[in-house]
Order: sequence, then C-alpha cells, then structure tokens
Amino acid sequence: MTAVDEVRTKAAGLRTGSEHRLARFILAASTIVVLVLVFQLFTNFGIFPDSWDIGLADPIDRARRWLINNQTSHWLYTVFLNPITDAIDWGIRRLESILKWFPWFSYPLVTGLGLWWTRGRFAGALGLAGVALIGVIDLWAESFATLALMSVSVLISVVIGIPLGIAAWRNESVARVVRPTLDAMQTMPGFVYLIPFVLLFGFGRVPALISTVIFALAPVVRLTEVGLRTVPQVTVEASEMFGATERQTLRLVRLPQARPAIFAGMNQTTMLAMSMVVIAAFIGAGGLGQVVLRSMQNIDVGRASEAGIAIVIMAIVLDRFSTGIATADPGRDARAMRWLGAAVSVVAVVGGILGQNEFPESLNWQFAPYVNDATDWARDNLYDIGDSGIGTGPFSDFVTLEFVTPLRELLSADIPWPAMIGIGMVLGLWARGIRLAIGIGAALFAIGFLGMWELSMDTLAQTIVGVVATLAIGIPVGIMTSHNDLLRTALKPVLDFFQTIPSFVLLVPVITLFHVGRIPGIIASVIYALPAAVHYTDLGLRRVPAEIHEAAESFGATRGQRLRRVEMPLAAPELMVAVNQVIMLILAMVVIAGLVGGGGLGLEAVRGLRRSDAVGRGFEAGIAIVLLASILDRLTRAFADRLRPPAAV
Amino acid sequence: MDTASQSAQVSVEGVWKVFGRKVSEAQAMAKNGASREEIQTATGSVVAVRDISFDVAPGETFVVMGLSGSGKSTLIRCVSHLVEPSEGRVEVCGTELTRADSATLRDLRRQKMAMVFQHFGLFPHRKVVDNVAYGLEVQGIERQERHERAQELLDTVGLEGWGDHYPQQLSGGMQQRVGLARALAVDPEVLFFDEPFSALDPLIRRDMQDELIDLQLKLQRTLVFITHDFAEALKLADRIAIMNDGAFVQVGTPVEILTEPADDYVRAFTQDAPVAKVLQACSLMQPLDGRGVSPDWPQVSETTPLEDALPHLLGSTNPVVVCDEQNTPVGLLQGDDVASVISENRG
Ligand SMILES: Nc1ncnc2c1ncn2[C@@H]1O[C@H](COP(=O)(O)OP(=O)(O)O)[C@@H](O)[C@H]1O
Ligand SMILES: [Mg+2]
Repeated sequence: MTAVDEVRTKAAGLRTGSEHRLARFILAASTIVVLVLVFQLFTNFGIFPDSWDIGLADPIDRARRWLINNQTSHWLYTVFLNPITDAIDWGIRRLESILKWFPWFSYPLVTGLGLWWTRGRFAGALGLAGVALIGVIDLWAESFATLALMSVSVLISVVIGIPLGIAAWRNESVARVVRPTLDAMQTMPGFVYLIPFVLLFGFGRVPALISTVIFALAPVVRLTEVGLRTVPQVTVEASEMFGATERQTLRLVRLPQARPAIFAGMNQTTMLAMSMVVIAAFIGAGGLGQVVLRSMQNIDVGRASEAGIAIVIMAIVLDRFSTGIATADPGRDARAMRWLGAAVSVVAVVGGILGQNEFPESLNWQFAPYVNDATDWARDNLYDIGDSGIGTGPFSDFVTLEFVTPLRELLSADIPWPAMIGIGMVLGLWARGIRLAIGIGAALFAIGFLGMWELSMDTLAQTIVGVVATLAIGIPVGIMTSHNDLLRTALKPVLDFFQTIPSFVLLVPVITLFHVGRIPGIIASVIYALPAAVHYTDLGLRRVPAEIHEAAESFGATRGQRLRRVEMPLAAPELMVAVNQVIMLILAMVVIAGLVGGGGLGLEAVRGLRRSDAVGRGFEAGIAIVLLASILDRLTRAFADRLRPPAAV
Repeated sequence: MDTASQSAQVSVEGVWKVFGRKVSEAQAMAKNGASREEIQTATGSVVAVRDISFDVAPGETFVVMGLSGSGKSTLIRCVSHLVEPSEGRVEVCGTELTRADSATLRDLRRQKMAMVFQHFGLFPHRKVVDNVAYGLEVQGIERQERHERAQELLDTVGLEGWGDHYPQQLSGGMQQRVGLARALAVDPEVLFFDEPFSALDPLIRRDMQDELIDLQLKLQRTLVFITHDFAEALKLADRIAIMNDGAFVQVGTPVEILTEPADDYVRAFTQDAPVAKVLQACSLMQPLDGRGVSPDWPQVSETTPLEDALPHLLGSTNPVVVCDEQNTPVGLLQGDDVASVISENRG
C-alpha cells in the first residue's frame, strides 16, 4: 500500500467514524423529541413537578439544629471539632497579634523595599503608597484580620499541598484520585464551599479558613506535581550515579528544580485564598470582606469602595510579591537588600518595643463621602438621563426585559423540563458519548428532585446572557490583540488588574451605577470573565504557526478569509477552553451576585448562609450550583476535546 | 569465573535489555536472528541491547562506537545500572551489580564509579562549585572540605575562578569541563562517558579529547567511553567495540579494526577514516627480532603518524626504522604493509 493509499483509507475511516456519530446523534435526538411529545400529550407540564421534591432541606435543617444543640456536649465536638476549631482560631489570633506587634510603618516600608528589589523603583514607590493608603482610610485593623486569616490559610494549603503534590508525583494511583478531585474542586464557585462548613462549624473564622484551604489548595498541589515531573531526567540520573539516596535526590535535585513551578502554584493559591477570604465574610470571617459586605447592605457605597480598594491593593501587592519571589534570579547579588532589610528589621523591632503599632489617627483621611456624593450624582444623573429613556436604568430594564426574563421563561417554563433534560443529554451524547449523556441527565434530574429546577434555570439564563456578552466582547478583542502587539501590551496591565481583583469587590462599582437586581450581577460577571476570554482567544490565535499564515496568504486569501477559514478553526480548541473558563467564571460571579439581588440559586444560597432557618434550602441550592457547574464544565471540556485535531499517527 | 574477568575492572557477560512488555518473546525472536524492526512490529518491544559481553582491564580505555539508536546509551546504562538489564551479569570492581542490593550499589557508586553525560546533566540550581562538590555532599563530607576539593578539580580542568557561576552561564565546552570535574571529584576508579563531546563544536571537541587523553595519562583510570564518532574512537581507544542494532559487530584495537574490518558495516566506517593520520608507526611495524639495521635507513619514532612516515618510504626502497623513546630501534616499517592497509582503506 502506498503512502497515499494509506492516508486515503485513514481519511475514509475518519469520515465513516464521524458519519456513524452523526447517525447516532440524530437517532437519539429524534427519540427524545418523540418521547417528549408523547409525554406532552398525556400530561401538561412546564416546570419540574413540586411533588417530586425529595425535601432534603428538612433533614439538613434538623441536622443543623441538632448540631447547634450539641455543640458543647457531643463527642463529635468535644473530642474532634472543637479542638480543631480552637487550634485554628488560636493560630489566627496568634499570627494577628504578632503582625500587630510590629510598628505600623514597617509594613509600607517592607512592601516598598520588597517590591523595589523584585520589581523596580516604581513598583516599590507604589507599594509603599498603597499600603500606607490602607491605613489612611482607616482599614488597618480589618486588613490585619484579613491578612492573618489568609496567611494561615495559605500556610495550611502549602503544608498540605506540597506533600500531596509529591505523593501524586511519586504514585500514579494517588495521582489518579487527586487530579480529578482537584479539577472538580477548582470548578466549583468558591462560594459553595462555605455552606457545608457553616453547617458543621457555625459562623466564624474557622469554617472560613477551612473552605478557603479547600478552594485554594489545587494550584500548589498541581504545580508541585508538574514541577517534579518536568525535572530533567538526566540530572536525576547524574544524582543517582553519585550514589544519592532517593531522599537526597528529592531534596537536593528534584525539589530545587521544581521550585519555580511550586512558587507559581503558591502564587495562584495565595490569590485564590485572598478572593475566598473576602467572600468568606458571608459567614463571619471578618476583615475587609466584612466591611464591603456590611457597607453594601447599608448602601454605603463609599465605605464599600474604600474596603474594595484596600482589598485590591492587598491582592496586587501579594501577587507582585509572590511572582517576584517565584521568578527571582538566584544569581542576583542580594547584599544591598540584605543590609536594607536588616536596617528595617532593627527599626521595626525598636518601634515595636516602643509601641508604635497603631496607625496614627492623625493621618486618617477618607474618600468615602466623595464616592457617596458621586454615587448620588450618578443615581440622579446617569441612572436615567433627563427622562430621555437613556441611562443605566433603562439599559438594565432593556436587558432584563429583552433577554434575561424571556430566556428564563423559555428555559424554566416554555420548554418542558423533560425536553430540557433531553437537550442536555443530547448535547452530552454529541460532545462525548453515552456516559456523559447519562451523567448530565442524572444531574438535571437531581436538580429537579432538590426542588431547585426553577432557580437553576434562572441562574442558567443569567449565565447564558453573561457568557454571550463576554464572548461577544472578548473574542473580537482577543482577535485584535493577537494581530496587534502594541494593543496587547497596552491591554495586558488592565486585564491583569481585573484578574487580580477578588470577584466580590467588582460588585461595588457596578452597583453604584446599576443599583441592585440581576443586571449588576451580570455586568460584574462580564467584567470578571472578560480577561479570560481575551487571553485564551489571543493565545489560541497566536499558536497558529507562522507557516500556516504564510501558506494561506500565498493562496491569496484575504484577511477575513484567513481568519474565518484558517485561524479560527485552528484556534478552535483554545476558543472552547475560553468558553469553558468564561462559563465557570460567570457562573461563580452570578452566584455571588445573589447578594445584590441577583436572584436564582445564589440568592437562595446567600439566604441560607445568613439565616439559620434557611440553611437547608441554602444547602440544596449549593448542591444545585455544584451540579450545574459540573454539567457546564464537562460539556464544554468535551466539546473542546472534540475540536482538537486528531493526534498524529 | 575465568582469570580475565577476575582481573577486569568492568566485566559484562551476556547482557540483554528489552524495553517493553514481552521481554522473553522478544529475546527468543532475537536469538533466532530477527532484526529489531521485525521484533518491534511483532511484539511491540524494543531489543535495545542483545547479548553483549566484554571485559575492561584496569587503566584501559574501552570505546563503544555505533550510530545513533544502536543501543550505546542503553548499554552503558545497563553497565552503570541506571537501567536494569533484562538478562546477564555486570561486575564492576569485583562487585556484581546485577545482584547487589541498593545499599551496596549506592556505596559502589559513591566510591568507585562516576559518569559524564552527553547533555552534561549539570544541576542548573547549583553553582559550578556545588555541582562539582555534589558527589562529596551526597557522601556527607563537610562543606569546607568538599569545596576545597571541588576548587582543586576546577583548576585541573582549567576552570579556576568560575566556581561561583551557574552552569547555564558557561559555554558548552566549559559546562562539560564541569561535568568532568564533577565526575573526577569523587576519585572514581571507573568512569563512564556517554557521548560526552557530541554536543560540542568540532574545535572544542578536539581540545576536550586532547585534554582527556592528557588526564588519562596522569590518572590511569578505567574508562568506558561511548561515541558515534569513529575518529574520536580511534583517537581515544585502547580497544573499540563497534555496535550495530544492539549487538557488538567487532571488538578490537584501532589497528585491528582498521586493518581487518569484520564486515561491510565496519568497513563503511574504516573507509572514511583518516588511516594515515590515525595509525602510528608502531602499529604497523614488524618487530626487529634481532635483525640488523643500517644507519642509512630513515628513522622515525614509534608515535609518528603513518602520514609522516610515508615520505621516507616513498623516497627509498629500504624499510623505515622505528625507534622508541630512548632512540633504540624496535621495529621496521615495510612499504608493502603500509600500502596494503592504505589501499584497504581506500577500497
Ligand atoms: N526508556 C526506553 N524505552 C523504550 N525504548 C527505549 C528506551 N530507551 C531507549 N530505547 C530504544 O532503544 C534503542 C537504543 O537507544 P539508545 O540506547 O538511546 O541508542 P544510542 O544511545 O545508541 O543512540 C532505540 O531504538 C531507542 O528508541
Ligand atoms: Mg545515546
């Protein structure tokens, strides 16, 4: 058989493969349509029947009451949970008091110095000013609470994560359990982790810390494993040839070379922890998140903005610090910095002994009043500009009436629920196969049984609107940046900035302009997810090899043709990853937006966290969020896999 | 155990290495003369090394030469026990590696052997001096002492003053000097080289070869040296093994290989080899055996390359007298012998 023949047979094989798939798909789709029609004839159903609600909320509520009543007596608490709680709480308090022992000025100094060293003069000056600003706007104590909680979370994540990463690297069967678990954990909107722990521990910093650790654990584990896996084999062999023991090789050769990857993981873990610690204000974690939350409830946008800015400063400083450490050049001369560091330490210790640890009140100055004025002004002038029907208010109404509400009606009522399940299953079948289809069907039924059908469809509708808007903006911008290095360089800091901001904080500026309701949540989610859309589009298009560009050009393809016929199809898998990421980010944000009247599952979950009689419903909503997230994640991943070109043979 | 392998410092007997699942099937096929491709299509396993035996005497330089993919790296990894042979026996410095437990193997590696790698295998996170000191660190030697020793070796390989750099700040040639210093730092009896100079520029490669020869003259270690460069093999080797498709085709001194290539595969290398440069007068001379020597006959030293002896032969019908270092005649170089070797080479 000649090579050409071989290629032909293979191509034919591929074709029959996909034809086969199509036939199966059509068969399945028509079966489901027929079934739905038959059902429709006998019963008249729109939404999932109420009577099928298994009522999980009641036992949860009973369990909650039982837990509250037995917190001081039952062995589960006295022997197990309370000691854990006490130990963690002690650790956080201890760290907080240590942090507070140092004089206030050591923080801006250390930050400025550290950033100067790792990032240059300009970053150093900004860092110094930023940290000082936190004190100026009178959020010093709250920042320490947040910092302490976050540091302990990161510490625990690292202490668990690195050994777990080593174990996963060493042992394939550990990896097979750990990897999908981490994937699943990272898919969930962080918010849902709060629910089970609040159930078990009640309000406070301990459940906040535990859910933060779980939410933030994944990157450090994964990158430890990746880092160890990518250590060049030849260095390991060299070490073995010198008669090093396994431990010696791990300690002296593998771990040091995996260090950059591990540090990158710690950076990501830190950022996730930061964002989670802020969200954990919902369950009484205190700190800056609490200020945002309380102010938003009191519609004190000014104070919320101040706390938001403090959070952003903290997040950015931490991010720059940890990437600076991760990418630090080991060969750099550190002498001058050591001297400066020593000098600052001496000043700090002396200051600490002299008791200079409160941020001086004389330096306080708040910009909250101005923000509140601006907000009032915006409300009076932008919400509805002079009765003209233009403004943020009419815009909200327009989007709500034209898109969100009709889509919600469509999903929850107009399309009968069996048809929705059918559609989900057919998509699963199309994207991957029968197993995914069954999984999706089961998950959707479960949502129904939880009595969360309507709320889920509400959340789904909001998510879809957010995703469409994000992609409609993000993909064209990504296309532009992929063709224009200048634009890319200009946009990068902006996108980085928005990616560093903890999701929750984004709600603050949005509600100044759009009040409460579903729209501000959707808008915040679009802002939140845009960087990912732009990034992955850009990445996908840039991966198209230059030769392919040139080949297409040599055939005389126009720019538009090239984009449509060559670049986009080649970048399709990456674009699908963009879709996946965007969906997950939007969903996470739409859920949090329950706080500002976003409705849907988020509202139910928020209520469950805040009112002890609604914990059961909140729990159900949490499970529904998890199920919805899993469905969307699996489905988009499966499509992304399908779009990848067949591997070389 | 025969006497040869008792006095040998490295002794390899019937070593096989099969990558893949169906080891015994693949070996059975190989014993029936199947080629590597045939075995791979039939079993999915790769016979990388098939039934190799050899001994290396103390102080000898044994070079294994073969094309890329012929199984050289796998062989030297079997010998140094970085991979476990599928079958066969390997003995280094009197210890049978193939039976040793991991502690014995570790001790042997710490005390007796060291390896230099093709892509250097330096530790990018350690300074040059800490790279060189690695073997000593693993043995638990104090920092002060191991650094002194490392400095010494850096001086030996001509890298004084580079200890505080990181390997990636050095050129390829310098990096391999670090590799060499690192191997020598533990004062090994046996050194394994897996194509150490292949990644270097030709000029630097030549310098490194010359330096290795000088070092070896001083140190007299046992070297097992892998290369795909026939000229390099001729230059360095006491004995050469030519490897093809996982097996040795011929083992012999450079002269034997050049003068009596075992088959067409070996001949393909010898044909292109610069025989007149490589062979020295001593390798083609006939021993004097008490014959008289005329003072009129031209004289050359033992180490004179053939190409420099040729003009003397062409200038007269007399043989050329070969003298040793004390200038006493030890042999005669005959025009016919030289002609036959060179014509074989051009053949
Ligand atoms: N770890 C391995 N697994 C499977 N096959 C291998 C492995 N290492 C080497 N091989 C195969 O064994 C053969 C010999 O390889 P190698 O010893 O590296 O040759 P050389 O060093 O002469 O280039 C090659 O066909 C190679 O593909
Ligand atoms: Mg090799």
